[in-house]
Amino acid sequence: MLFFAAFFLAPLAVVALASVTSGEPGLSLTTQQYLRVLADQYHWDVILTTFRLAFFTTLVCVILGYPLAWYLVRVVRWQAWRRFCVILLVVPLFTSNIVRAFGWMVLLGRNGLVNQALVGVGAADRPVRFIGTELGILIGMVYVLLPFVVLAVGNALARVDPACEHASADLGASPTATFFHITWPLTLPGVMSGAIIVFTLAVSAYVTPALLSGGRISVLSMLIFQQYSSVFDFHYGGALSMVLLVFTLILVALANRAATLPGAAR
Amino acid sequence: MSALLTIEDVSMRFGAYQALDRIDLDIQQGEFVALLGPSGCGKTTLLRAIAGFLKPESGRILIDGQDISRLPAHHRPLNTVFQNYALFPHMTVLENVAYGPRRQGASKADAADRARAALDMVGLADFGPRYPRKMSGGQQQRVALARAIVNQPKLLLLDEPLSALDLKLRKRMQLELKHLQAKLGIAFIFVTHDQEEAMTMADRVVVMHAGRIEQVGAGTDIYRQPATRFVAEFIGDANFMAYTLATSATGDTLQLDLQNLRVPLAGNNTVNNTVKTLPTPTRGVAVLRPEDLRLADGQATGMLTGTVADVINVGSHSMIHVDIDGQTVVSRHGGIAPSGLRPGAPVSLTFAPEHLHLIGEQP
Repeated sequence: MLFFAAFFLAPLAVVALASVTSGEPGLSLTTQQYLRVLADQYHWDVILTTFRLAFFTTLVCVILGYPLAWYLVRVVRWQAWRRFCVILLVVPLFTSNIVRAFGWMVLLGRNGLVNQALVGVGAADRPVRFIGTELGILIGMVYVLLPFVVLAVGNALARVDPACEHASADLGASPTATFFHITWPLTLPGVMSGAIIVFTLAVSAYVTPALLSGGRISVLSMLIFQQYSSVFDFHYGGALSMVLLVFTLILVALANRAATLPGAAR
Repeated sequence: MSALLTIEDVSMRFGAYQALDRIDLDIQQGEFVALLGPSGCGKTTLLRAIAGFLKPESGRILIDGQDISRLPAHHRPLNTVFQNYALFPHMTVLENVAYGPRRQGASKADAADRARAALDMVGLADFGPRYPRKMSGGQQQRVALARAIVNQPKLLLLDEPLSALDLKLRKRMQLELKHLQAKLGIAFIFVTHDQEEAMTMADRVVVMHAGRIEQVGAGTDIYRQPATRFVAEFIGDANFMAYTLATSATGDTLQLDLQNLRVPLAGNNTVNNTVKTLPTPTRGVAVLRPEDLRLADGQATGMLTGTVADVINVGSHSMIHVDIDGQTVVSRHGGIAPSGLRPGAPVSLTFAPEHLHLIGEQP
């Protein structure tokens, strides 16, 4: 508890405090930092971009991650192969974010492998612009965050009692009906927890968007970083941080509510 | 009349392990059949093969003369009560029971009506809006039962449905299930490893061992005339005594290895051959149930003499273990054992020769 207070609550309190003061001597509370943030259309655009990117990252991660988790848990029969796949999935998490983002910069560049392939196949007439677009950032973020969904969903899938699916089939449900009536609802908490992890990480991601944006797109975390590292306006930066935190908490709380099963224990 | 369910020459193996070895079985309309055997004997595998969750390697399974071996589970006209009930945790009791009719295409209202009727039948009419997790094991068991009968299948498979209940509740559910089965007229196939449960409920008991069917028959027949030593050992308690058939001037006699006891071969000694139809084998093992082996009255000398090894009083009856020349035989005594019986005391036992059941040895 003490540890938690010292290393988590204290810094947060410092940031929160900074966001409601002006920096002038004396302890006068002010909302001027928040007004600066919320009254400016530019900030709203950045907030929107941030959450749009996070939302689509989450969506794509779930769409790609669910089948992948299904494959690993339900299709793969051979233990060694499954272990290999899981290692393949987890190992990138051990390497630096920066390295991976640079990797994508190379792959997605004008003459990168992806563009060469697209042009080679004839899917595009000329190289597609990825770097500096939201699509490029999205690709990079999905790559970084996909393992979280696969692990969360895989865990949920492994915990579904096979007898429930047998019972469904036994009662006359086709495999598709069984999936939508039984398997999907039972794995929904896993999907949601994976999605929440991905969403919160995507909202606060800095390295990947910073490197893949090519300076053309700003997300909240980049703005915050600027305030702290170059402008040294801790009060303004604090207010931006609090805005990000509050928006994220609201969305996560909503998602959590949606994910709770009606029949869950408690 | 043809059988409701016919199992023809069904075999199945998991790797090197022969789970089912050429099973043949017929089950009639409205019959209550128990598949009985120790764990790993193949009874659950057989049930799963009938339900369609496992594909046998060879053989056919027919319902009403139609081969269903290739049919996926959701097209088979039967339902299952699973061992741990497998209720859907995210649905209410009513939704659980209505699931079957819904998937068969019934309207929501119609499915709910049928579900309510099924719940009423198992005595849970008021439990529709509850969630399964908030119910006791016995109630969950009834929900599983209601869910399985709501589609009015011709055949209901029950995979050790009572094993998770405590003894008292289990005894009550056994009778309830039996009555429900009689009321519905649906054929039940009931898997259990509990021989008492099988005897209580089933019209016919199928004893399985190592992937094979050892014996099929009414519970009492199997108890009285076990076909093999395994069956005699698995169903109830049994004393085994090796015997040799001997012919003398006064007629055929049976000589037990135990104390070289000679008894006349009674006309109604039941004899089983492990092979099809051989004449009475000259050697084998005689089965004697503990309740047929009695303490000799008073000072009279019985047929077998030995010393008391253990006395187990259970209240309603007592089991007296007697050591006879190194072999232990068990005698069942109604009520509490006489106080004179203490370990080490000499004792004399007697039995009626016609109670010996002979299991012949293959020559």
